[in-house]
Amino acid sequence: MKIEKQVLTRVEGEAVLHLEWDKGKIIDAKINIPNTRGIEKVLEGRPFMDALVINPRVCGICGHAHLIATAMALEKVLGIESISTKAKIVRSITQLTEMIQNHIKWFYFFVMPDFVKINENLNEYKSFKGVQWRKAVSISSEIVKVIALFAGQWPHSSYAIPGGITSTFGEREVFRAKNYIKKTKDFFLKEVVGIDEEEFLKLRKKGNFGELKGDFGRFLELVYENEMHNIGKAYNRFLSGGGLYLCLKPSYKKGKGRRCKFNVEEVKELNPPDYTKARPVRYKGLPYETGPLARQLLYKNPFVKKLYSLYEDSYLTRVSARVLEIWELLSLIEKLLEKLIEHLDEKSFEGEINKQASGQGVSFIEAARGTLIHKVVVEKGKIMKYEIITPSQWNLGPRCNKYLGVAEKAIIGLDSELKAEMVLRSFDLCSVCTTH
Amino acid sequence: MNLIWLQRLTCSGNTHSLLSSEDANLVFEEFEVLFHPSFSVESEEEVIKKVLKKGKLNILVVEGAINKEDDIVKKLCKIADYVIAVGSCAVYGNLPALKDKDVSGLQFRFKEKGGILGKSFISRKGYPVINLSGCPANPEWITGTLLKIKSKRKLNLDELGRPKEYYNSLAHWGCSRNEFFEWKVEAKSLGKEKGCLFYHFGCRGPLTHSTCNVILWNGVNSKTRAGTPCFGCTEYDFPRENLWETKQYAGIPAELPLGVSKRGYIMVSGMAKMFAPERLKNED
Ligand code: SF4
Repeated sequence: MKIEKQVLTRVEGEAVLHLEWDKGKIIDAKINIPNTRGIEKVLEGRPFMDALVINPRVCGICGHAHLIATAMALEKVLGIESISTKAKIVRSITQLTEMIQNHIKWFYFFVMPDFVKINENLNEYKSFKGVQWRKAVSISSEIVKVIALFAGQWPHSSYAIPGGITSTFGEREVFRAKNYIKKTKDFFLKEVVGIDEEEFLKLRKKGNFGELKGDFGRFLELVYENEMHNIGKAYNRFLSGGGLYLCLKPSYKKGKGRRCKFNVEEVKELNPPDYTKARPVRYKGLPYETGPLARQLLYKNPFVKKLYSLYEDSYLTRVSARVLEIWELLSLIEKLLEKLIEHLDEKSFEGEINKQASGQGVSFIEAARGTLIHKVVVEKGKIMKYEIITPSQWNLGPRCNKYLGVAEKAIIGLDSELKAEMVLRSFDLCSVCTTH
Repeated sequence: MNLIWLQRLTCSGNTHSLLSSEDANLVFEEFEVLFHPSFSVESEEEVIKKVLKKGKLNILVVEGAINKEDDIVKKLCKIADYVIAVGSCAVYGNLPALKDKDVSGLQFRFKEKGGILGKSFISRKGYPVINLSGCPANPEWITGTLLKIKSKRKLNLDELGRPKEYYNSLAHWGCSRNEFFEWKVEAKSLGKEKGCLFYHFGCRGPLTHSTCNVILWNGVNSKTRAGTPCFGCTEYDFPRENLWETKQYAGIPAELPLGVSKRGYIMVSGMAKMFAPERLKNED
């Protein structure tokens, strides 16, 4: 038996993968997140509004999701039941935009360079120099302008507050945002899937993912070439609790598609095993996969449905769900921007923030990597306890007494270290979030 | 010129800040990036081993607070022509250092000079650690500083090691609420286009060295323009407690704009309030 340790690059933050081998196959995999910054501890004893500034710092790539989750948890504490439609729409727009930049960066910076390791001639996908890699860098700075227009800046804005948002804006900002979304759509059509909108929509209707071209098409070819379409399967059990898609009931899917209502009370964070600082999370005692694959299945994305029916929750399906979700997010933002125009005259912020409030608040939303949960206890205006459960804890968290972590399970049985890394990356690990 | 970018205790926010600059590709064009954890295919260990063996490195960028036992970072700092700390964690220790006394910035631990490299550290080209504070540092400060080093222009640093062109002015400069500050018209609540955030809402703009309101974020906006107070994230005391409120003594902000005397403030603000034009006070 051989034991191997690999410090990973191209994940958000630091992670170490331990592999145990027997007869050329991986028989055990442990994901170790070695660092924690103690953010929950920093929050204790502070006035609750400080969480709006500190929590985005949990994560450089999905800090905005942490901001929105914080504002929502504090709204529960303060008994604020509604905010203006304008504020609600804008929060969704900025949150969805953050997911798009995440997916683009992940696909071009983390996923595609793995294939360069297999095939050195894939010049266009090489880190730093590749033509497509560089294009991804360019679009990354464009898309986040949508967030900055409404939220002041990205990363690390604090514009969402209990009761609404701090910013005011008019048609001009909406038009500019539309333009950046349009540019990103063009990028998606031209570079990611390599066809025009009309054709894309036709294929989408039938779920014919195999006819997509561009960099996604190239990805498909590479997956088949390297026989990776059936590897990397996990529990085949999904969770999406954020209710981000208006038409989607928070629910989960198991086996033949049984669904049930997501009840945040059933989420339990357990103590970490000795090899990592990350804590496992279970829903009704069971491990679940969260993220784009879960969302797109529940949302019945025709491409993802077809992929899933052929290859279940494999590396291929998981990566595809993330990439193809970009389109769904862009379409949703377009609709929200249209709607926003009608609500521009509303207030950004209403009511008052009682700085001496006591109470508890739980919020759950969909971040790029899946369901994110914030729980806060406030007494006389001070934070007594703050608990953050991140999507990466679901997907890449460690084992408990009974079950392996989701990604750990997906890696066991593989026959190469590179494949193990690739499967791990298909979950889009964010280690800075996992331990925070 | 070659470059290594390391991450330690960090949220990766400065990497994403870099990627938020329209000039990010210029950096990848102009520098040979030997290693960056978010992009490299090679392992960190291998690259560093090679570089240390050669004993030569042009630029070392460190993102994130550092544990005092981190010998790798110390060794690389010794051979690097320029050492850059990007983001307030690498500069002062910031959040990760708050609850862990073994963690600090490269050449500072909060206010105190020293950090893991020591007070007198000077890199091969004769500079102390070049500090790009901010949580995160503004995208253009990162690309601007790197490209300036590449062009071999002399760097002018302030006493904290920060490039003066980005840290000699205040976040207050260029804020769209300046006229409200001038006439002491405070925002009535959050979420308003009008009014300054200094008097009630904790804005640190007049006390914070930064160019956030001149070199706009993502090229389009800033916190204070978006109605959020400046939290002073480029200074060592970020994140202070009670970030959304201005501490006051007898109706006067406990901390006044940099260099302004209490007497001066009281006189000027009294006059300003008295003569403030009505158009600033109207709701819309
Ligand atoms: S809001 Fe802050 S930065 Fe803007 S004018 Fe007032 S004090 Fe200055």
